[in-house]
Amino acid sequence: MMIHLAMATGFLLILIGFYGALSNRNLLRMIVAFTIADSGVNLVIVAIGYMPGRTAPILDATVKAGDAAARVIDPVPQALVLTAIVIGVGVTALMLAYAYKLYEKKRSLDIAKFTELRG
Amino acid sequence: MPNALYLIVAALAASFVLGLLSPKRCGIAYAITLVTLAFMAWVSAGWLWAFVVGGAQPVEILTAGALPPYAINLRMGRAEAAMTLLINLTGLLSALYLKESLFKLGHRGMAVLLVAIMAFCGIVLTRDLFNLFVFFELAAISTAGLILLSEDDRALSAGFKYLIVSQFVSTFLLIGILFAYHATGTLNIDTMATSARLLQVGAQGFTLAFFLMFIALVTELKPFPANGWALDIYESAHPAYSAIFSAAAATASLYAVDKLLLIGGASWYPMASGIGILTFLAANLFALPQSNDRRLLGYSSVAQIGLILVVLGQRDLLGESTSFIAIGLLVSHAVAKAGLYWLSGLVQKRNLIDWAALRGHPFLVFAFITFVAMLTSLPPFPGFYAKWELVRMLAGGGRLALLALILVGALIEAGYLFRWFGYILKREPPTEAVSGEVHKLVPVFVAVLAGWALGYLWGDLSGTGRHNLLLALPLVFAVGFLLLDWLPAWVKNTLAITGMVAFFFLTYTEYDPLRLIFALIFLIGGAITLLASYDAHGRRIGFYPAAMLMVAGMVMLVRAKDSFEFFAAWELLTIGSYFLILRGKHSEPHALSYLLFSLGGAFLILAGFAIAAQGVAPFPISALGQVAPSLAPWVFVLLATGFMTKTAAIGLHIWLPGAHAEAETDVSPMVSGILLKAGLFGLFVLLMTMGKQQLYGIELTHVLLWIAAFTALLGNLMAVFQEDAKRLLAYSSIGQMGYALFGLALMNHLGWLMALMFVINHYIYKSMLFLSVGGVAKRTGTREMYRMGGLIRLMPLSFIAVLIGIIAVSGVPPLSGFGGRWIFYNAILASDYRMPMVIIFLAGPVAFLYLFRLIHSIFLGQLKDELRRVKEAPFWIVLPQMLYVGLLLAFALVPGLVLRRVDSYLNLFFPEGGLHWEGFEITSDYGYWNPVAIMIVVAVIFVSLFAWLLFVNRRAQKVKQFNIVFSAERPYRPETTHFAWNFFAPYRKALGFLVQPYATNFWGTLTDILHTAGDLARRLYDGNGQSYAFHFLVFVVVVFGMGL
Repeated sequence: MMIHLAMATGFLLILIGFYGALSNRNLLRMIVAFTIADSGVNLVIVAIGYMPGRTAPILDATVKAGDAAARVIDPVPQALVLTAIVIGVGVTALMLAYAYKLYEKKRSLDIAKFTELRG
Repeated sequence: MPNALYLIVAALAASFVLGLLSPKRCGIAYAITLVTLAFMAWVSAGWLWAFVVGGAQPVEILTAGALPPYAINLRMGRAEAAMTLLINLTGLLSALYLKESLFKLGHRGMAVLLVAIMAFCGIVLTRDLFNLFVFFELAAISTAGLILLSEDDRALSAGFKYLIVSQFVSTFLLIGILFAYHATGTLNIDTMATSARLLQVGAQGFTLAFFLMFIALVTELKPFPANGWALDIYESAHPAYSAIFSAAAATASLYAVDKLLLIGGASWYPMASGIGILTFLAANLFALPQSNDRRLLGYSSVAQIGLILVVLGQRDLLGESTSFIAIGLLVSHAVAKAGLYWLSGLVQKRNLIDWAALRGHPFLVFAFITFVAMLTSLPPFPGFYAKWELVRMLAGGGRLALLALILVGALIEAGYLFRWFGYILKREPPTEAVSGEVHKLVPVFVAVLAGWALGYLWGDLSGTGRHNLLLALPLVFAVGFLLLDWLPAWVKNTLAITGMVAFFFLTYTEYDPLRLIFALIFLIGGAITLLASYDAHGRRIGFYPAAMLMVAGMVMLVRAKDSFEFFAAWELLTIGSYFLILRGKHSEPHALSYLLFSLGGAFLILAGFAIAAQGVAPFPISALGQVAPSLAPWVFVLLATGFMTKTAAIGLHIWLPGAHAEAETDVSPMVSGILLKAGLFGLFVLLMTMGKQQLYGIELTHVLLWIAAFTALLGNLMAVFQEDAKRLLAYSSIGQMGYALFGLALMNHLGWLMALMFVINHYIYKSMLFLSVGGVAKRTGTREMYRMGGLIRLMPLSFIAVLIGIIAVSGVPPLSGFGGRWIFYNAILASDYRMPMVIIFLAGPVAFLYLFRLIHSIFLGQLKDELRRVKEAPFWIVLPQMLYVGLLLAFALVPGLVLRRVDSYLNLFFPEGGLHWEGFEITSDYGYWNPVAIMIVVAVIFVSLFAWLLFVNRRAQKVKQFNIVFSAERPYRPETTHFAWNFFAPYRKALGFLVQPYATNFWGTLTDILHTAGDLARRLYDGNGQSYAFHFLVFVVVVFGMGL
C-alpha cells in the first residue's frame, strides 16, 4: 500500500512538474517545475526499491552482514537516488545560471522572448 | 596497453588540476588540455591497433573488483576503440581550433571541454545502464556549458532550450532504467538483454520501461520532430563545438541506442527504422530552403544520424554487415561534418553564398568537396561502400519501399550540398577574407587526410563483390593529378594524353570488339580532344583532376566485370564530368541540374542492379540475362531509365543544353562527343544481356523505340529554334542520341550496327563542331549566331570543319553520316515497327534546318563591323578539328576497318541480317553501298557545280551593309531586324507547340514543391523552448501509440 501511495505521489509530482514547465513562460517558474518533477522521480525510485517489512540497507549491530540479504531492502535504488539527486542539483544550478544570463541579456524571463533561432 | 579506464581517469584528473591552476596560467592550462586529449586519443588508437592488427580480444573492465551486477562494467572492444578514437580526435582537433575562445574562457572552460569528451567516451564504453545515465547527464551539463563558449548571443537561448528538453529526457531515462532494473534485477546491459529474453510474466511492465529508455536515448539522436533544440545549437554554437556535437556526441548517442537495442531485441527494429527514415527525409527536406550555413549543416547532421538509425533498425536483415555499413556511414558523417564546421569557422559571414570566399584557396575548396562527397556517399569514400552494401541487402531482402525513401532523401541531400558547392565556385566572393590561422587549418587538413585514408580503409575491408577503388589504376592516375596541380597546364596536358594513350595500348587486347570501340573513343578520342587543351594557359587548377576522373570512370566502366565495378565507375564519371561542366562561366545552375539528373539516374541503376542481384555478390554483368522473369522487366526499366538520363532521352533531357553549351570550349566536346557514349554503352550492355522484356504485356524495347523517335524529333526541332550556336549543337546531340537509341531498340543486327556507327560518327563530328563553334565563339566573344556572319574568309579552317561536320551529321553522301543512314534504312526495313519509323523519318529533314544555320549565319553573309579584325581560331583548337576531318574522311571511305569486326561480333547476338563486306563494297539484304564510288560521284558533281557557280557569279553585285534602310528610323531592338535572328519563325509558328518546355516546367515545379514544402514545414520550429518540449512529448506519444 505504502509503495503504491509513494509511487503514485511520485508520478503525480512528475506530471505536475511537466505541466508546470509547459504552462509557465517564466524561466524561474519552469526551473522550479523541473525541480518538482525531479523530486517525483526520486520518490518513484525509492519506492521501486522498497520492500515491505524490511529495514534500511545499513549494516550495523542490528543487521549483520550475513543475513543482510534477507533483511534489508534493495540497496541499489537507494544508492542511485543519491546520484540522481546530485545530478539534479547540478542541472538546476546550470539552468539558474542560464536564466540569470538570459535575464541580463534581455531583461526578461519570458521564454517566448528568446526565439531568435528558428526554422 | 594502457587500461581503457585511463580515458576517463585522465580527463577527470586533468580537469581537477585545471581547476586548481591560477586563472593567469592560461598557457599551461591549454597545454594540459591538449596533452590530455592527445593522450586519450593515443589510448584509443593503441587499442584499435591492438584489435585490428594484433587480433586482441575485447576486454571487460570491472570496477571495484566485483562482477556485474555488483559493479559497473565497462568494455573496450574493436567498435569501442574506433568510436572513442573518433571522439577523442574530434575533441583534440576542436580544442586546437578553439584556442582563442579557450584562452578567453580560461581554465574552467577547458575543464568543461575535457569533461564533455570524457562523458562521450564513457557513454561508448559503459555496459551499465545507470552509468550510461550518469554519463549522459555529464554530457548534457558540459554541453550546456560549452555552448556558452560561442560568441553568438543567441547561443544562450539555444543552451536553455537544450536543458529543457534534456530535463524531460533524463526523467524518462531514469524512470525507465529503474523499472527495467526492477523487472530484471540487473543494471548490466548484457545481463539484462539475456534476462529480458526470459521474461514471460510481467513483460508488459518491462516493455514500458524499455520504451521509456528507448525514447529517451533516441531523443539524443535528434529525431524528427523532437529536434528543434539541436538545430538551434548547431546554428549558434561555436563551430568547433558544433563539430564535437555533430561528430562526437552523435557517435556516442548512436552507440548507446545500439546497445539499448540489444536489450529490446528485434521487435524494436522497425520502430528505430521508422523514426530514422522519417528524420532522414524531413531533415533533408527542411535543409533545402536554408540559407544559413551552420543551420543547414545541422539539418544535414540530423538527417545523417537518422539514416544510421535506419541501418541499426535493419539489423535483422543486415546481420553481420550492420557494423560495416553503420560505421562506414558514421565515420563519413563525423569526419565530413566536423570538417565542414571547422571550415565554417574560417568563413566570416553566415550565408551560404558567402562561402565563395573559399574560392581563392584551392586546398579549402578541395577540402569542401571532399567532405561533400563523403556526405553524399560518393566513391571512393567509406559511405559509398556502405551505401552499396545497404542497397544490395535491402533489395535482396525485398524492402524496396525503404530503399526508395533512402534514395529520395539522399538525392535531396546531394541537391543542397552540391548547390552550395556551386555557390563557392561561381558566386561573387565577399570582401571579408578567409581566416588563415594555422591552428584552424590543421584540423581541416587532418579531416581531409582522414577522409581519404578511411576511403582506402573501407575499400580494403574485405567483402565479397567489392574492390578497393583507390587501388584501381585509372582512379589512382586521376587522383594523382591532385598532387600535380601546381604544374603548368601544358605539362599536365602532356601527362594526361600520354597516360591515356599508354593505358589504351597496354590494355587494348583485353576488350571484345564492341568494348574496343568504346575504349578507343574514351581513351584515344579523349586524348585527341585534349589536344585542344594545350590552348589554355597558366595552371588551370582543378581541370585535370576532374577531366581524368571522368576518363577514369569511363575506362573503368568499359572494363567493369561486375555490377559493383560498373556502378562505381558510373558514379566516378558522373562526378568528374560535373566538375568539368561546372568550370564554365555561367554553368552553375546547369551543372547542378546535370548532377542531380545523373545522380538520380545512378540511383536507379544502383537499385536496378541490387534488385537483379537479389543479395548475390559479386554479381557479374553478364548475369543480368539470368534474372528471374518476375523481376527482370522491373530491372530493365530501372536500368534503362538510369542510362537514358545520361543520353538525355526526352523528358530527362533538360540538363543537357545548358550543361553542354555553357561548358568551356574544350570541355564541350568532351562531355558531348565522349561522355554521352557512356550512356549508350550502358544501354548496349543492358540490351545485350537482358534483350527483350515484357511488362504487363508491353514490349519494353518497343517503348524505347517510341521514346527514341520522339527524342530524335523533338531534339532536332528544339535545335532549330536556337540562336546560340553551342546550344544548337547541344540540342542536336539530344536528337542524335535519339537515333542511336532507336537503332539499339530495333533489336536487330543492323540496328545495333547503326547505333555503333552513330557512336563513332557522333563522337567525331560533334567534337569537331563543338571545337569549331567554340573557337569562333572565343574569337567573336559571342555565341549568338546572328551576331556572327561572314567569317568564311577570316576563319577558313573553322569553316571547313563546320562544313564537313554538317555534311556528316545530316547524313547526305558522301561522308560517314550517309553510311549511318544507309545502315539505318536497312535496319528499319528489317524490322516491323511502322509508326515510330515515320516519326524518325520526320526528324531527318529537321536536322537540315538547323545544320544549315551553322554555315549560313556564322560563315556566310555580311561580316559585322566589329568582327573585321577577327583571326582564325587558335592553333591548338584547330588542330584536333583537322584531325577529325581526316578521321571523318577515312571513316567515310573505309568504314569496314572498324565496323567489320563489330559486324561479325554482333553475329553472336543476331546471326541473321548481317552485312556482306567485299572490297569497297558493302551489301545488305536490300541493296549495296560503295563508299568510294559514292565519294567519287559526289566529288564530280560538286566540282562541276562549283565551277559553274564561279562562272555565273562573276557579274554579281555585292550588297553593302547600309543598303537597307528602316524608313529612316533606327529599330528599337536592331537584332530583331537581322535576317539571321529567329531564322525559322514560320516553322516556330507551325510546330512551336512541340517545343514548349513541358519537361523543364515539370521538373521546375517539382523542385518548387519540394522547396515550398520544406519552407512551410520548417516553421514547425518556432524557436520557443516550450514548443520544442511539446514536440518532444508529441513524439513520445506518437511512438508510444505506434509501438505498443
